[in-house]
Amino acid sequence: MHVDEEQLARWAVEGDAPDPAAADHLRSCDRCQAELDELRRVSDLAHSLPSMEQPSDEVWTRITGELDSTEQVGPERRFRSRTLAAAAAVAAVAGAGIGVGATLVATDEETPATPTAIRLEPLAGKSGTGSAGIVQVSGAEELKVSASGLAAGPGFYEVWLINTDGKRMVSLGVLNPQAGGTFQIPTGATAQGYRIVDISLEPEDGNPEHSHDSLIRGTLPS
Amino acid sequence: MTGAALWRVSAGPAWVTVRAVTSKDAGDPTAAEIATAFAEGRDAGLSAAYRRWSGLVFTLALRSLGSRADAEDVTQQVFVAAWRGRGTFDPDHGDLGAWITGITRHCIADRFAVRQRDVRKAEAAVRLADGGAAPQVVDEAVVDRVVIADELARIDDPRRTILRLAFYEDRTHPQIAEQLGLPLGTVKSHIRRGLLQLRDRLREVSGDDARR
Ligand SMILES: [Zn+2]
Repeated sequence: MHVDEEQLARWAVEGDAPDPAAADHLRSCDRCQAELDELRRVSDLAHSLPSMEQPSDEVWTRITGELDSTEQVGPERRFRSRTLAAAAAVAAVAGAGIGVGATLVATDEETPATPTAIRLEPLAGKSGTGSAGIVQVSGAEELKVSASGLAAGPGFYEVWLINTDGKRMVSLGVLNPQAGGTFQIPTGATAQGYRIVDISLEPEDGNPEHSHDSLIRGTLPS
Repeated sequence: MTGAALWRVSAGPAWVTVRAVTSKDAGDPTAAEIATAFAEGRDAGLSAAYRRWSGLVFTLALRSLGSRADAEDVTQQVFVAAWRGRGTFDPDHGDLGAWITGITRHCIADRFAVRQRDVRKAEAAVRLADGGAAPQVVDEAVVDRVVIADELARIDDPRRTILRLAFYEDRTHPQIAEQLGLPLGTVKSHIRRGLLQLRDRLREVSGDDARR
């Protein structure tokens, strides 16, 4: 019998040696050993990742400028695909750093009062309450979120920032309602209108989209 | 998720209607959709490709070259070269991100070569011996790490949060389960599948380089 695949992944990520029974098996099974080696390689790389950075806006101007002199590349009104046009508006956000992804930062029990903290109120027919506030941590913005009385359900709670333009949103991460959490806000997001803090109940269905099951919500001051 | 419910939310003094959309259900193009638009020469393909991969290209150049100015030059070169060379990209037989990463490798290597030439000239000018150093190549571990960081940022929650806790904060599986209030089995499954997802991404990128 081969070693449980999830157990192999756990050894790879946690850097532990396999237990004696598994070690025996690994010595005689190339398949399991190869899988462990490969998972270890990925995990080792992933344990020291660079932070992703964005070029200045000027670079895009330079690219279109250089191409414009030789061929027609122009403004986005020439989108032919509606899907892509809509996507471009969203993807523009990624260019501004949202694609870099939000990190769940360490959680601590004490919640210092933040000057900008807002209350998160339940949506119609929902229960629960919470608060959210922006804290500045070495030049970056983080959102400190706490919640209580959220409707229980299968799945997990996810924190979102919705743009006041009503067209875009970005996921900040998973919230443990018992502990609360602090989430990195993508650079410039609040200035771009991502000010509506939304906590949703998400089923474990592998669908990354917002479940549309929002529980509590509030808007950060501009 | 078209026809999504409209939500009324308070945003300042006025009530505005916020449609429940994410970047995904607003029609965030998949890599394949971007690739098709790009190969067909649609402007939307170029701008979408830039938005999707400029961070990857720029970070890779920055980590390799150590200079923002050089990294921005390389980013410009890469997208200009990719757009002009789009006729050689076949969306049916390749991944656009991997293809663009390959171009980035070459542009960075060119930049190393230029630097080396400049050094040689300077050395000749002061009559220093030319060491004849081997041409500097792109460090594949840097490529791998940037590719993983880029992919990790795109992984959907809760997997992304779980992986970040494991990689950035060295949390054990049970610690992650406790912190996120998720069953241990869920955490185990997401970590394994997440590792495979990152591995597949690495394979695509290095596979592309092997074909070039
Ligand atoms: Zn085996």
